[in-house]
Amino acid sequence: MTMKNYSILCAAITVTVVLGVLYIPGLSDAIEQVVLVFLATNAR
Amino acid sequence: MGALRIILQIVGIVVLIPAVTMVTLKIAKQDADGPSILFPGGKLISGELHTGPEPDWSFTDDVPTIELQLVDPLSSRTIFIMESDGKVYIPSGYMRSTLGKIWKDWAFQADAGDGLAVARINGVRYERQLIRIKAGPVLDGIVAKLVSKYGPGATREAIEAGDVWIFEMAPRGA
Repeated sequence: MTMKNYSILCAAITVTVVLGVLYIPGLSDAIEQVVLVFLATNAR
Repeated sequence: MGALRIILQIVGIVVLIPAVTMVTLKIAKQDADGPSILFPGGKLISGELHTGPEPDWSFTDDVPTIELQLVDPLSSRTIFIMESDGKVYIPSGYMRSTLGKIWKDWAFQADAGDGLAVARINGVRYERQLIRIKAGPVLDGIVAKLVSKYGPGATREAIEAGDVWIFEMAPRGA
């Protein structure tokens, strides 16, 4: 993949992720629960 | 060369997605009226401000978590709460681990600063002062409540060694 196409893909992924986190109901809570479990497991 | 480039591009995307997710969540929550599950929020605004005599804190036995806001720096987080012998306490674990030092920066800030805080419990805000408890017989009751309420893990030895920090949420000026 050319650098130009890769940059466009990264930008599209960024926008998709931001909109998904902000606007899909329950997604941010689900992500936080996963991170919380990760931290509780590894922060020892 | 082409294969290496593809691998690096895939790695970049794998790193990008969680990084963007974490940054988005942190920014989205930082000015909110209270914290989310994991990310700090802003100033606790809503809810009646408690005035008058100290409440009977035993009602917190039925409260899994509270929202705690430091006055300086101004940020809030979700945290456990334990009542013991008429006083109320909050814990902060993993304090000597690398991840813990990043995750629990509020505890270092509270200990180093003036400890002024606001707790929101069941929608009521309480102005408090955080006082770290490092040792003493009072820890026995606190640990017993911590274990009975949240499960095994915390011990008096862990607190005295600095792995778990305990703060009393004392009345301001006490």
